[in-house]
Amino acid sequence: MSKQREDDFRELAAGYFQGRINRRRFIQQATKLGISAALLSRLAPATYAAGDNLVDSSPEAPNESPITKERIEFLKSKPYKGVTINVLVLKATVGDCLKYHAPKWSEETGGHVNVAEVPIDTLHQQIFSDLSTGLGRYDTYMTGCWFYGDFFTGNEPYIVEIAPFLKDPKHPYWDPDQWLPAMRRLYSWQGKVYGVLFDGDAQILYYRKDIFEKPENQEKFKAKLGYDLPSPPKTMKQMHDLSTFFTGWDWNGDGQSDWGISLHAKVNEQGFFHFLTLASPYVVSKDNKYFFFNPDTMKPLINSEGHLRALEDYVKFLPNGPKEAISWTLGQGWNLFLSGHAVMEPTWGDLPTFAQDPKSNLCQGKVGACVIPGVDEAFNPITGKWDKYENNVAGNTNGGTWHCVISRFSKKKEATYDFLAYMANKKNAMFNCANGWTGVQPGMKYEYFPPIGNGSLDEWAQYGWNKDDATRYLNAYYENLALPNQEEYLRIPGAAEYWHELDVRVSAVLAGQAQPKAALDETAQAWEQITDRYGRDAQKKLYQESFAS
Amino acid sequence: MSAGLVRKKRAKGATTSSLWVRNPFSVLVCRGSLSRLNIVKYVFILPAALWILSFTIIPLFSAINYTFANYVLGRGITGYVGFTNYINVLSSRAFWYSLFITIVYVSIAVPLELILGFLLAWFVTLCPREHNFFRPILTAPLFTMEVAIGYLGITLFTSQGGLFAEVLSYLGLNVPWMTTSYGGLAASIILDIWRWTPFVFLISMAGLAAIPDQLYEAALLETSNYRQLMTNIAFPLSWPVLSVALLLRLIEGLKTFGLPLALTGGGPGISTQLFSILNYYTTIQFFDFGKGSAMAIIYLLLVSIAISFIFSALRKSFD
Repeated sequence: MSKQREDDFRELAAGYFQGRINRRRFIQQATKLGISAALLSRLAPATYAAGDNLVDSSPEAPNESPITKERIEFLKSKPYKGVTINVLVLKATVGDCLKYHAPKWSEETGGHVNVAEVPIDTLHQQIFSDLSTGLGRYDTYMTGCWFYGDFFTGNEPYIVEIAPFLKDPKHPYWDPDQWLPAMRRLYSWQGKVYGVLFDGDAQILYYRKDIFEKPENQEKFKAKLGYDLPSPPKTMKQMHDLSTFFTGWDWNGDGQSDWGISLHAKVNEQGFFHFLTLASPYVVSKDNKYFFFNPDTMKPLINSEGHLRALEDYVKFLPNGPKEAISWTLGQGWNLFLSGHAVMEPTWGDLPTFAQDPKSNLCQGKVGACVIPGVDEAFNPITGKWDKYENNVAGNTNGGTWHCVISRFSKKKEATYDFLAYMANKKNAMFNCANGWTGVQPGMKYEYFPPIGNGSLDEWAQYGWNKDDATRYLNAYYENLALPNQEEYLRIPGAAEYWHELDVRVSAVLAGQAQPKAALDETAQAWEQITDRYGRDAQKKLYQESFAS
Repeated sequence: MSAGLVRKKRAKGATTSSLWVRNPFSVLVCRGSLSRLNIVKYVFILPAALWILSFTIIPLFSAINYTFANYVLGRGITGYVGFTNYINVLSSRAFWYSLFITIVYVSIAVPLELILGFLLAWFVTLCPREHNFFRPILTAPLFTMEVAIGYLGITLFTSQGGLFAEVLSYLGLNVPWMTTSYGGLAASIILDIWRWTPFVFLISMAGLAAIPDQLYEAALLETSNYRQLMTNIAFPLSWPVLSVALLLRLIEGLKTFGLPLALTGGGPGISTQLFSILNYYTTIQFFDFGKGSAMAIIYLLLVSIAISFIFSALRKSFD
């Protein structure tokens, strides 16, 4: 291939991957450049309903963009008039988001959405009691990704694949090829997609950039710690130093003493994700990708020396935040940061998104974001040795990545998919991830800036985002997802139970009721019982496969 | 004719036919047949028997079956594992801790509810005109859902502007309600007392109302000390009624679930994880019917033994 043709193809491919041109046009143009169709097909996997029949908008569907011509035609007859779908959602911001879209979808299609909300501590039980009894009261469930394995414990999955619906252009258009690979994995099981795009969770570190960059704070920090205030922190030691330094004095000038870190650790409220996130660099490295189990034996790794040190270090953060943090739900943790009383918080993207509401907080334009700091020594639980690194960092997709899956018992699968796809349509997906109250984080390429995707700052700014906040947030979020070392996400059957056992014991350590070693040993013992109950060989196979996908 | 009279007549050798003619049930069945009478009896007993069979006996045997089984969500019983579930339960620190914390919870909450409920009833009895004012106010918590009280408790006890925490901090007391094991437990117990004291209050009111006025009038000729009236007349004579409240509260207390679950989620750690919460997580939340049923059977046995002893002690106190 000549240099000119090579450059042309590169530009063409960039246009395709950034979403500027569609697949058909990409293949047509590339073929003109002499690239074989077979190769192109592999480069550009089918985007299901995509094609030249996409238009930007239509009066038939004011809330969808882009939209297929078939969809426009389909909507003219109000196709789901008289159809009611029943949805079980998490009683939280993500549930509110779904409820926001329900009447709009009804307006377009004539269908009706019944929404039942349940708190997180009963969600798993509600979903699986409905499925295991075959009651099928709900057509779709909002699930956390760690419930996934439980959908596949029986001979037949409890949920249905969405590929057949995706191929049908009469449904709202969304493009699964736009998924970031880390996110796509969470919506799939053994290579097949079961979930419809909604949320894309990961935890990174958010901090008050203005406070870190204030000259007097930098001087004080250097005088006390003997080195320049690291903004952002790169290592766990720096993060500990910063949280200790900013605790117990009034750095925001409101007359009250403030805190160095905000955490939330109430049991059954996802607090254990903090531990998983902060522990990842202690265990996950270029030499070891296993965090939870030894893939050959299914013996738990959770009580390894690396996990133990991570837990011991995690406990050291506690005095640098309010004592009540151990009984806080995540909203209470965010409030401390958003009200300007905590200088750092490792958490989900809701935090910077909420910070964009200038009425309710003091942080807009001041939120820094970075990947979770690293450590210079990581434990390899497979070899049983500590390995030295310059600075070992690990990315994660910790969180619910909340989204809906369709019950196999549903008698209205098509209408149900239509509603879910409506929320996944680019216009709505963008709206969701740019608004804090929705609880949704970005998981699609088009939500990020070039060269990752084709998102634009203006697009984010139109939702009230400060452009600097948006840039820092999205860049750090993507950096986390693209790090070469990634903490695995446990999705084998029983994952909810494995994590619950960890959750209560980490909480006990934080409350001073248990020693870290004893707590982790007890967790490992409980995990062994769970593995035996589900069948060690079956669990081992699925665990190994989870790394292959 | 009462059943007792029927039995007596039968014992004296009364014939079937004479018995039958005088039996009021004769209008419902064909004449002259004892077996038909028996059928009627069984027909009347049948609903209750079916109820007990369906909702007590079968579930109990089903639970016992599960205790020996390995149950997996989506696959059901995958095999039988002997006494493994029992061994796992008995070797679990969480199980023994949940028993301990349940006993602590009940041992503190129930006696305090009895004392407070009775005292409130006594005071209200002394002020009959204020009955109508106090009674609805004092009984209001009874009509509130446990879970709602639990969530209300979060706003009362949180140190970030919680009413209790704020008031106590003005008095110089900073109680870490939600962050320590004893704080969380104390908060749960306080709310439990708030909710259930009115129940004891109502029962005590009924007990006190049954005491004849003449007894008080006679006693008042001897003393004007109301404490003596309470300890020597009101309490002893109300004790049979109060003992019912005690038993009901004990049974309910041993099943306490919604309030601490909503307030603390069983945490921090497992510090407020009462038995019912542990059992809920094991059986209902994570579908480990084997282990969950085993712990339920062990708990049933322990509680049955304890309640039998209490029953027998109460019986002796009445003798």
